[in-house]
Amino acid sequence: MNAVARAALTLLAVASAAAAQDPSLASRLDKETLAAVTAIVDSARLAKIPTKPLVDRAFEGAARGSDGQKIVFAVKQLSMRMGSAKTVLGPRTTPDEIKSAAGALEAGVSVRDLARVRSASGKRPVTMPLAVLTDLIGRQVPVATATDVVLQLAKSGVKDGDFSLYQRNVRADIEHGADPTVAATTRARGLVARTGAVTNPTK
Amino acid sequence: MSEDDDLRIEGIAGELRKPVRVSSRLDERVMRAVRELPRHSRLGLWSRLLRPRRVTVTPLPWAGGLLAAGLALAAVIGTQYVLGDSSDGRPSAKTAANAPQAVQFVLVAPDAKKVSVVGDFNGWDVTHAGYQAQHRGGGVWSVTASVPVGHHRYSFVVDDSLWVADPLAPRAADSDFGGPNSAIVVQSQE
Repeated sequence: MNAVARAALTLLAVASAAAAQDPSLASRLDKETLAAVTAIVDSARLAKIPTKPLVDRAFEGAARGSDGQKIVFAVKQLSMRMGSAKTVLGPRTTPDEIKSAAGALEAGVSVRDLARVRSASGKRPVTMPLAVLTDLIGRQVPVATATDVVLQLAKSGVKDGDFSLYQRNVRADIEHGADPTVAATTRARGLVARTGAVTNPTK
Repeated sequence: MSEDDDLRIEGIAGELRKPVRVSSRLDERVMRAVRELPRHSRLGLWSRLLRPRRVTVTPLPWAGGLLAAGLALAAVIGTQYVLGDSSDGRPSAKTAANAPQAVQFVLVAPDAKKVSVVGDFNGWDVTHAGYQAQHRGGGVWSVTASVPVGHHRYSFVVDDSLWVADPLAPRAADSDFGGPNSAIVVQSQE
């Protein structure tokens, strides 16, 4: 074998290793954790599940000083949640929607309710509605109530900007001492009424 | 060789030694004819490129080398693709509308000595230079940074040790590592 072929094969070996392992991960994870995370990422790639969120989750764990087992578990859980989200939301779902849906699943939303939010939103992206749903649950609004509220808003055709405004208002109400459930439902009623008035001006 | 032969050769040589008489207008006629010919510069180049020539190749080392180089290139491109986008198997069009947006992060932390922003957009790197908040006075820390369009989880890190969720942003689920996180959905400028 001549020098050119040897150099090319060396390049191939280096490139293959680079493809298998994110170099930035290698600098932040120990050898065993890196191998386990890389295997999960490779598996996700084969399943056409977004891989960047998995790498980001490993980065987060490393930045927080978590041990390797915890990082691997977190990455694996996220991979499974994203797989479920992708299946429920359909093949045309964007990576951001999958990521947001995985967050909602992590917060306690069921796969069935995820499908209902998808259906209620029509062709609009579900990234923002699911981020707001996750936030409501994080602010102690019961999962069932939070899901119903977001479904109601999605069915009413509320846009992302109004979802964002709704989240800020509910947060402010809760911070001022309001009951989370009352704040979420009251603000939702107001927004639905306003959205209905805008979309149906004759009513 | 006979004497007759010698004379014949001498005669031919004598004819050949005579100066050739060329019409004074010959050059002009020839050049005019050349100028009137159609140009074939490309054809000339092609004909030079396609001109048969002899090339000697030793098959195995070169075939192996080229194959390996091709695979290596494909692997490198694959890595760039995987790390460079959301890698859902579909290429993402990086248009101006999808360009990263300026986002201002603000935290009120009167006792802090240092405030950083970490998240999916900077690899959760506490030392990332572009995400170090500046103290604006009165305990208000802020940094305006470029964040890609999409859904991101993030957090503030105070004095390199205390993780604080953005009190004004939606909360993100945080069951994995137990620390608080915030979520941001950066919209494109469409």
